[in-house]
Amino acid sequence: MKNFNYEVIVIGSGAGGGMAAHTLTKLGHKVLMLEAGRDYDPKTETPMFKTKAQAPLLGAGTVDKDFGFYDATVDGGWSVPEEPYTTGNGSEFKWWRARMLGGRTNHWGRYSLRFSEHDFKGKTRDGLGADWPFEYKDIAPWYDEVEALVGICGTNTGLDDMPDSPEGVLQPAPKARVPELLVSAAAKKLGIPTAPMHRAVLTRPLGDRQACFYATPCGHGCSIGAAFQTTTSLIPIANKTGNLKIITDAMVKSVDVNEQGKITAVSYINKKTGEETQLSAKVVILAASACESARLLLNSKSEYFPNGLANTSGQVGRNLMDSTGVDVGAHIPVLENRPRYNEDGHTANHLFIPWWGHKQQAKGELDFPRGYHFEISSGFGEPGAGVAGDLTGYGSYLKAQARKYYGSRVSFALRGEMLPNKDCYMEIDDKVTDKWGIPVAKFHWKWSKHELKQVEHGLKTGRKILETMGAKFTDPLPKAEDVILKGGQIIHEVGSTRMGDSPNDSVTNQYGQTWDCNNLFVMDAGVFASNPHKNCTLTIMTLAMRNSTWLSSQLKKGEI
Amino acid sequence: MNNLTDFTLTNSSLTDNDFAKASANALQYKSTMTRRQSFKWFGVLSACSVLPTVSGCSTLADIETLIVGHWPDVKLPPITATGYGKDPNLLMPPESPWPLTLTTEQLTLIAVLSDIVCPKEGSVPSASEVNVPDVIDEWVSAPYKMQQEHRLYLLSSLIWIDDESVLRFKQKFVKLTNEEQLVIIKDIAYDNEDTPSEFRFIAQAFNLIRQLVLSAFFSSPEGTKDIGYMGNVAIAGDYPGPTDEAMEHLNNVLGDLGLTL
Repeated sequence: MKNFNYEVIVIGSGAGGGMAAHTLTKLGHKVLMLEAGRDYDPKTETPMFKTKAQAPLLGAGTVDKDFGFYDATVDGGWSVPEEPYTTGNGSEFKWWRARMLGGRTNHWGRYSLRFSEHDFKGKTRDGLGADWPFEYKDIAPWYDEVEALVGICGTNTGLDDMPDSPEGVLQPAPKARVPELLVSAAAKKLGIPTAPMHRAVLTRPLGDRQACFYATPCGHGCSIGAAFQTTTSLIPIANKTGNLKIITDAMVKSVDVNEQGKITAVSYINKKTGEETQLSAKVVILAASACESARLLLNSKSEYFPNGLANTSGQVGRNLMDSTGVDVGAHIPVLENRPRYNEDGHTANHLFIPWWGHKQQAKGELDFPRGYHFEISSGFGEPGAGVAGDLTGYGSYLKAQARKYYGSRVSFALRGEMLPNKDCYMEIDDKVTDKWGIPVAKFHWKWSKHELKQVEHGLKTGRKILETMGAKFTDPLPKAEDVILKGGQIIHEVGSTRMGDSPNDSVTNQYGQTWDCNNLFVMDAGVFASNPHKNCTLTIMTLAMRNSTWLSSQLKKGEI
Repeated sequence: MNNLTDFTLTNSSLTDNDFAKASANALQYKSTMTRRQSFKWFGVLSACSVLPTVSGCSTLADIETLIVGHWPDVKLPPITATGYGKDPNLLMPPESPWPLTLTTEQLTLIAVLSDIVCPKEGSVPSASEVNVPDVIDEWVSAPYKMQQEHRLYLLSSLIWIDDESVLRFKQKFVKLTNEEQLVIIKDIAYDNEDTPSEFRFIAQAFNLIRQLVLSAFFSSPEGTKDIGYMGNVAIAGDYPGPTDEAMEHLNNVLGDLGLTL
């Protein structure tokens, strides 16, 4: 990097790092990006139109490829070879990592719902968790910009859980499919709304990215750029400015400070050679993912920061949250033998069920404080391993049963807001290091009654909707604690370096600038003060754009 | 064009109760190419969606039943191959990601069972005609935990089926007449409360065989067409949504349920 006079080092190339690099390079700043994984190009590497039968094991998931053979995740998943993590006694936590340019944006679900004013000020309303250090109206114009840049399809609904976008920002939503329409009709009878999902999938071309052609699951990546990932959008655009340089296979080990407590350098290990390099740094942005950034801070101990960098508050690694998750589904007899058509669509929800209970909660009618939404799984999917279900018999009778049941199952995936609690946090395991000699993260986890009550409500409501569609349940309602998914399993981990109004109980200010070091920023989901049920990526990108723009103004004013 | 499956009848003069040699007298399933190879052979490239499966059972059976009656005590050498790793080439998946382990005799029995589970129907080929036995070979030869468990159940089931055939009809399964084969299959193809206790375990193991066969069959190009999956086709312009016929069906359903859009 001798001939590249960078101003800012960005660690990570996913939603936060990609947007930070895009924003800063566009504003004229030279940025050096470090990515722990390999280089990755969706244009040449995405398995478009491949069938499950063309993959080993009919594409089924394995420990090598947890979400199936074609999932875009490279060198990661629930485990990364020789880069373990540990859990405390009695804790279960799963940590999804990707070691590739673009990080987890290459495979994410692309659900992109704005947080609302409810979401930013939960504590003001119910006294729980923490408020964000700004209001919805402060961030709304940034959502507008990000939605236009990323390309979000969806519809303004006017619902209190879904703030509208300005006219012309959202791209048209795709038409709903039969099972979704049936869910919608059943939900309507119960007074529950359905709405077009907002998704980072183009239904109209944008720049050199093409519109969706409604084939190939987005989780495989998208060679035509319709499904948003930083590797076909933000990073190539930033590259074109000439202001971006990227070093891949660079595992950052520490962020180094001088005697004034100012960041001076970043040390990383070249994963190909094992060689350690120290890069001088004027400004550092952490965007390595909530838990990887917190790990890096906790591992960057010094005389000035004996408890870890930027951790004077003691909050680094604390307030760790995921979304709640549970599945409730059923066979729907009236959907048996229904007429076939191409039901792929954009390969995920066209309709979903947004949270409808704000008013009930305000009146104290619900026994849990925060909301959830339902994602709808259904349809004539591509047959693969497991297609046989629980059929019996053999021969033509069996095959007729398989055809009859095909496309007749509907299930709901609940995704809900969790509150921070003292039992959910991460720290450094002082006994275990990864293959690079870096101490690993250790997770502690326990759901509180708020999440369990919420999941119980979701299980009951999900069944009610399915019963309205004609489903019959013979087994008793499961207990929430038995069926709630594990911490980390929804891959919405946030909060480990939360932002706030005060250096006493938060790690950064509202711009992601750490209270302890004015030239150190966090721009991943670590800064979330709460974890609304609406999937974190759109807000990660929105904060990264807003906060990089603020950082640019500070640099230009000479404040940093 | 090559046949995907090649059955050859070998003639030899074995006594009916010479069990050890019976297999040599049987229809032999000869694997000539893997299914993936065969797809390339025919230039078939299409199809995908993230949506779920027939009746939502995405994991194969957990088998937990007390064994009554005979059950072979099978000790298998562990599979020592490695998996395809965390960064396989997704555009050109490995032709043969690990060594295949089934013998011709085992594949032949699997082919016969596959075609009982999933027979030829008119112009729709049978399971063995779309190389289902090869897919099952790849499945049970895989070095992953679940597949290794399936290998034990599958191979034990094959032995059980032959033992049962010999006990009842004094010949291995592939040598039986179709009627004789179905006498046994009818006893093991329904796992419910009426299943006699001596068949409970094999009936659950047979669930696994059925699921593997159906999964492999319906994910083949011919099976995908048979079940009616119509996706994985690039659409120009907006997604068209349900057809008129599909909407008419939905409207009838809504009417029956007393619902409105």
